[in-house]
Amino acid sequence: MLQLNPQTAKKLQRFRRIRRGYYSFLILAGLLVTLAFGELLVNSRALVVSYEGNLYFPTYTDFHPGTDFGLDYAYETNYRQLKKQFAAEGNDNWVLLPPVPYNPYENHAPGGTFRPLPPTAETQHYLGTDTTSRDILARLFYGTRIALVFAFAFTASVYVIGITIGCAMGYFGGVFDLVFQRLIEIWSNVPFLYMVIIIFSVIPSNIAVITRISILLLVMVLFSWTGMTYYMRTETYKEKSRDYIASARIIGASNARIIFRHIMPNVLSTLITFMPFTIVAAISAVTALDFLGFGLPAPTPSLGELLKQGTANLRTAPWIVIAAFGTLVILLTLVTFIGEAIRESFDPKTHAVYR
Amino acid sequence: MSRILPNLCFIGLTLLLSGCGKPDDNAAVTTGAEADVSAEVEAFYAANPEFFGFKTLADVPVDLNWEAGEGLPEIGSPEARKGGTQYGALQDFPRTLRTVGPDSNGGFRTFLLDEVGMSLTHLHPGTRELYPGLAEAWALDPENRTVYIKLDPQATFSDGAAITADDYLFMFWFYRSPYIMAPWYNNFYSTTYSNITRYDDHLISITTAELKPDFAEKATNLRPVPQHHYKAMGENFTERYQWQFEPTPGAYIVREDDIRKGRSIALTRNDNWWAKDKKHWRYRFNPDRIQLNIIRDSAKMFEAFKRGDIDQFGLNLAEYWYEKLPDSDPDVQAGYIHKSVFFNQRPRPNFGLWVNTAQPLLDNPDIRKGVAHATHWDLVIEKFFRGDNDRLNTASDGFGDFSHPTLRARAFDIDKAQQYFAAAGFNQRGADGILANADGQRLAFTLSTGYESLRDVLTILRQEAAKAGLDLRLEILDGTVGWKKVQEKQHDIHFSAFGVPLEMYPRFWEHYHSVNAYDDAFLEDGSINPERQLKTQTNNIEALALFEMDELIERYRRSNDRAEMVALSHRMIELHHDHASFIPGFYQGYFRVGHWRWIRYPEGFSYKHAGSAGELYVHWIDTDLKEETLAARRSGQTFDPAITVHNQWAE
Repeated sequence: MLQLNPQTAKKLQRFRRIRRGYYSFLILAGLLVTLAFGELLVNSRALVVSYEGNLYFPTYTDFHPGTDFGLDYAYETNYRQLKKQFAAEGNDNWVLLPPVPYNPYENHAPGGTFRPLPPTAETQHYLGTDTTSRDILARLFYGTRIALVFAFAFTASVYVIGITIGCAMGYFGGVFDLVFQRLIEIWSNVPFLYMVIIIFSVIPSNIAVITRISILLLVMVLFSWTGMTYYMRTETYKEKSRDYIASARIIGASNARIIFRHIMPNVLSTLITFMPFTIVAAISAVTALDFLGFGLPAPTPSLGELLKQGTANLRTAPWIVIAAFGTLVILLTLVTFIGEAIRESFDPKTHAVYR
Repeated sequence: MSRILPNLCFIGLTLLLSGCGKPDDNAAVTTGAEADVSAEVEAFYAANPEFFGFKTLADVPVDLNWEAGEGLPEIGSPEARKGGTQYGALQDFPRTLRTVGPDSNGGFRTFLLDEVGMSLTHLHPGTRELYPGLAEAWALDPENRTVYIKLDPQATFSDGAAITADDYLFMFWFYRSPYIMAPWYNNFYSTTYSNITRYDDHLISITTAELKPDFAEKATNLRPVPQHHYKAMGENFTERYQWQFEPTPGAYIVREDDIRKGRSIALTRNDNWWAKDKKHWRYRFNPDRIQLNIIRDSAKMFEAFKRGDIDQFGLNLAEYWYEKLPDSDPDVQAGYIHKSVFFNQRPRPNFGLWVNTAQPLLDNPDIRKGVAHATHWDLVIEKFFRGDNDRLNTASDGFGDFSHPTLRARAFDIDKAQQYFAAAGFNQRGADGILANADGQRLAFTLSTGYESLRDVLTILRQEAAKAGLDLRLEILDGTVGWKKVQEKQHDIHFSAFGVPLEMYPRFWEHYHSVNAYDDAFLEDGSINPERQLKTQTNNIEALALFEMDELIERYRRSNDRAEMVALSHRMIELHHDHASFIPGFYQGYFRVGHWRWIRYPEGFSYKHAGSAGELYVHWIDTDLKEETLAARRSGQTFDPAITVHNQWAE
C-alpha cells in the first residue's frame, strides 16, 4: 500500500474536515466519472437493441446501418424512430435508449423548423434546444467534458514545463537563471490572444478536429507556462540555501537526487495550492476563446459557443444562456471551493516544522 | 471585381480590427509647396489622343436622335416630406472616406457612392430604362459604339463648382492612374471604354470598346470626378485622401465635424443640392440628416432598433422575422413597428457551394456530382429559411432570358450520391459511417464559409451529407479571412455568393475562363498543359478550365447579337452544370424590413428591381408621427398593426 508521509496524511485529514471543499471535491469527482461514461447517458445510439432474437450494444461499437435492423437505408440507424417502429409493430423487438437520447451534433426539430425550443420533458429536451435544434443538455454535457479534459491536460503540461524550468533556474542559478529570466520576461510579453488568432489563421483547415484542439492546447500552454516558473524558482532558491540541502550535498548526493528527493517534496504545497486555480483559468480561457470564435473548431460542443448563442438570443431563447451560464458558474465554483480548501489545508503556517 | 462580396460579408468583419478607431491626424497631411497634377493629366491626354478626343460642336453629327428618358413614371412619392433625422447603425467604422483604393470597398461606400451618388444616367428601378442624372439628354450612335451626352448645365458639386466635360475626362485619368492602387479600376476603365471626346463644356461623347446590347448603360453609368479636389494627387493618394470627403453631385455630404472616428458618422442633406427640383430626384433623399452610430454586435443593433434608437432594421433572416420580431411582438401588435415584405425581380446572388476542382479527389467529376446529390438544400430552405427562400438552379439565375429556362439543380438523393461515390472508388463504409476507398482514404472535405450568420446552414448540410457517407468538416471564418482563403484557392468547398449588380446579362469570363484558373491552362491543340500553375487572386474560384468554355466565352464577349448571346449563355450554363463544380444553394426573392411607424414609404413600397428597402431613398420621416408614436408608447395608446406583403412583383 501507498505509505503516505505523515505530514501529507495530516494535510489530507485537514482537507476532509473542510466540508465545503471536500463535498465539492466529491461532487466534481462524481461528475468526472459520469462524464467519462457519458455515452451511456447522453447519446443518440441505443444502449441495447433486441432485434430478431439478437442483442446489439451499439454504444461503443461501429455504426449500424439501418439495414441491420430491417430498415431501408444504409446510413446510421435512427434509434428513436426504431424504438417507435418496434413499439408500433408490437413484436418481440425492443430498443433501450439512454435517458437523453440525443447526441450533441444532430439537429432534431420536432416542430419542423430549426429554432430554439424551450425545455420540455415530453420531447426529452430537458434543457431545450439551441438555434439549430441541437439538444442543449447533450451539448453542455460533452462541452463540459471537453473543457475539463482540456483543462486537466493544460494544467499537467503547464506544470511539467513550469516545474522543470523553474526548478532548474532556482537550483542552478547563475548565468542559467539570468538568461532564462530574461527570456521568460520577453516571452510573457507576447500578446496571447493575437498569437491565437494569427496561428489559427495560418494552420490549414483540412486537419482533423482533434489535431486542431491539440494545437490550441499547445498554443495556450506555450503562453502560460511562464507564470509557474516564478514560484518554482523562488521556492527552490529558498530550499536550496537550507542546511539539510547542504548536508545532502556534503554526503555526496547527486543533483537529481537532491532535486527530486529533497526539494520537490518540500515545495509541493505551493504546487498543489495553485492547481485548482490553474484549472479554473484554463476553463475560463477556453470558454472565452470559444465565445470570441477562436477556440474549439465548429461544430465541437462547447460552453463558450453556447454562451455566445445565448447572448445573441437573450430575448427569444433565455434558456440557452441560463443553461450555459449556470453550468459554468457551478463548475467554476466547485473547482474554486476545492482550491480554497486545499490552500487552507496545505497552509505552511499551520504545519511547517522547519520554517 | 470590386463590388463582389455580398453585403453579408460585412457581418463579422468587426472583431479583429475593433481597435482601429482612435483619432489620428492623417487628414492633415502637410501639403508643402502646393502640388498640381494638372500638367501630368494634360500630358496623359496628349499621350493618348485616340482615347481623349478634343473636338468642337461642329463635329457633332446633326442627325442624332436625342432622348431623355421622358415618360418614365417618377420615382418616389409627392407625399414625401423633407426633414428629420434618420438613425441607423454600422457594424464597423469606415476605414476610409475614399471610394477607391485599399479598404474603400466597405459597407460605408453605399452611403458615399452606390446609393447616394449620381452618374450621367441611372436605370429606372421599375422599368430598367435609363433616366437622366447628370445628363440632360443622350443620343445613341450604335454603329460607332458611341453615346453623345448633353450634360445638365445646372449640375454642380456640393462645394459649388460647376460640373463640366473636364470632370469626365479627368475621371478616366483618375481611374486609370496607378496612384489609386486599384488594379481592377485601372483595367476596367482602360478596356471597357475606348474613347471620350469633349465638344464643349457641356457636351461629350463616350465610346465603348464593344457594342454590347447594354452599351448605352455602360457608357452613361459614369460619374464625374472633381479635378479641383484631386489637384494634389500623387504617390501619397491613399493617405492624403483617406479622410477627405470628395465633393459630390449627390444629395448628401459628410461634414468634417460629423466624423467621430470609431464612434459615429453622419450624412447631411445639401440644402443647395442642384437636383432638388428635378424629376426622379425631388421626392427622394428626404431626411435632413442620416446619423450612423457604430454598434459592433448585431444582437445589440437589434436591441437598439427595438428601443427606437434605430429607425429601420433588415429582417431578411428568418430568425429575425419569425423569432426576434414575430407578428405577435407587442411593439408590432401596438402598431409602433411596421413589418414589410417586398418581392423583387433582379439577378440573384448565387449562394451555393463553390468546389475547388484543383484539389485532389474534387478533380473527379463523379465525386463532385456525388457531393451535389449529398447536399440537402431543400431541407435548409424548409427548416432554416422556413420555406421563404427558393432553390437556386444555376449560378446565373434572374437574368431574364439569359438565364437557363429549364435546367434544374441536382436534388438531394442518397442513392445517386452513393452511386457516384462508388464510381469514384468509394464504396466501403468505415466505423463512423463515412465512405472510404480501397486505400482506406476517407471521403472527407472541408466546407468553409465567411458567413458567420449562416453557420447553421452548414451544420444542416454536414448532418445530411453524413447519411450519404460524406464527411464535411466545417470551417467558419471571419468574412475577410474566408474571402482571402478562396482568393488564394486554398479551399476545398466554399459556401459563398457573388453579389450581382443589376445587369442585363451574366458575366462568364471572370468565373469560368481558364486564364483565371491557370497560367497557360491548355496547349495549342486544346489538351491540358501538364505544367500549368494554379492562378490565385481571381474570381474563378472553381479553378474551372474547359477548352470548350473558353471558346464560348470568347464568342460571347465578342458577340453583338442579343439572340446569339442568349444561346451562348444557355450553352455555357449547361456546360457549367455538367461540370458540377458549383452546387446551387438558394436565393431570396424578396427583401424584408422592420421600420418604426414614422418611417413612411410610397404607395407600393418599392420598385420591381430594387435590391433593398432603403437603397432608393424614397422613404421619408414623418416627424409629427414620430412625436405621436413616442407619446403613445409612453401612454400605452396603440394603433393598428401593419404587417404588409407587397407581392405585386413576386415571381
